[in-house]
Amino acid sequence: MDELMAGDRSVATSTAPPDGGKYVYCIVRSARPCEFGAIGIGGEANRVYTVHHEDLAAVVSDTPIVIYDPTRENVLAHEFVNETVMREHTVIPMSFGTVFRSGDDVSELLRSTYEAFSDVLDKMRDKIEFGLKVLWDRERVIATLERTNEEIRRLKDEIERNAQNSTYFARIQLGRLVESALEEMGNAFVADVHASLRPVAVASRSNKPIGDRMIMNAAFLVERSESEAFDEKVKALSHRYEELLTFKYTGPWPPYNFVNIKLKLERAD
Amino acid sequence: MGLLSKLLTFPISAPVAGVQFSLETVERVVRDELVDDSAIKEELMELQLALDEGDIDGEEYVRREAELMQRFREVRYWRERFGMGVTGGPVRVQHDEEENG
Repeated sequence: MDELMAGDRSVATSTAPPDGGKYVYCIVRSARPCEFGAIGIGGEANRVYTVHHEDLAAVVSDTPIVIYDPTRENVLAHEFVNETVMREHTVIPMSFGTVFRSGDDVSELLRSTYEAFSDVLDKMRDKIEFGLKVLWDRERVIATLERTNEEIRRLKDEIERNAQNSTYFARIQLGRLVESALEEMGNAFVADVHASLRPVAVASRSNKPIGDRMIMNAAFLVERSESEAFDEKVKALSHRYEELLTFKYTGPWPPYNFVNIKLKLERAD
Repeated sequence: MGLLSKLLTFPISAPVAGVQFSLETVERVVRDELVDDSAIKEELMELQLALDEGDIDGEEYVRREAELMQRFREVRYWRERFGMGVTGGPVRVQHDEEENG
């Protein structure tokens, strides 16, 4: 690693970083300059480093003044930097695509928002976020309902027995029964997941489910020291429901869903 | 008097006001749609999920992602035209000349 870097070193350290655009990934507490490697957004292995104001630092990489499309590639690059930084720091993530014209503008952000950043960094100290999305297999859940729900089973049998005579209305009624039983069951699953995880989480937030198979799209804020306990609970849940539900469990993330600092920014053209 | 003639002789100001209102509404709805990227974001998340679940392959993902990015750019264009805020792109700290309490 050292040898590989040696060739570049003269270039990287003998000239100060060009004071052009800065892409900002996150805010951390650090009075000392940090380096996070050549992992910056933009596909040119831009080095990721810090810009400071007192004991606050913005994690940045150099960038031309461009608008970054939220492509998978770009978003993953943004994420990867934050994941790397959060191994050693508590981070306040910046929203994707935030570009400042200069290092001075970044310092100015830190200076003008010092108290809010400082306050949130204290609150988020040693806390991480996990994402939990729960998908269900609708057909399987319906099959289960048809076995276990007395009313549904009876109506279904009735319709099947008089296939010719069964009325349109009986079918409509069955459809409604299934829908409401599904909703009830979905709510019960979600309530159970929340109840199981609440003791090991600091906070949770429910987001809108994506697509029609998802019944839960939540984020949990967890103490680092509790992350194993949280893991265990999620595993137990996915085991308990393995027949019916798919758990998509991601993290640790920076606390995207639990930090909401309204920055007073304007366009800089 | 029959219902039809009642409708026809109804004070004219009301329907006209109604028409004006609805034109403005349509204009606003169209404009809201032009400058709203929430549906695109939702589609992007669904696309992501489809890729993660193996419902589509990487090639299809890239193709559909490119379409969505184009739509994002169109929304950005309209937001700029209407002088509305856009996300991404260069920013700086805003300094209010007039601080309201």
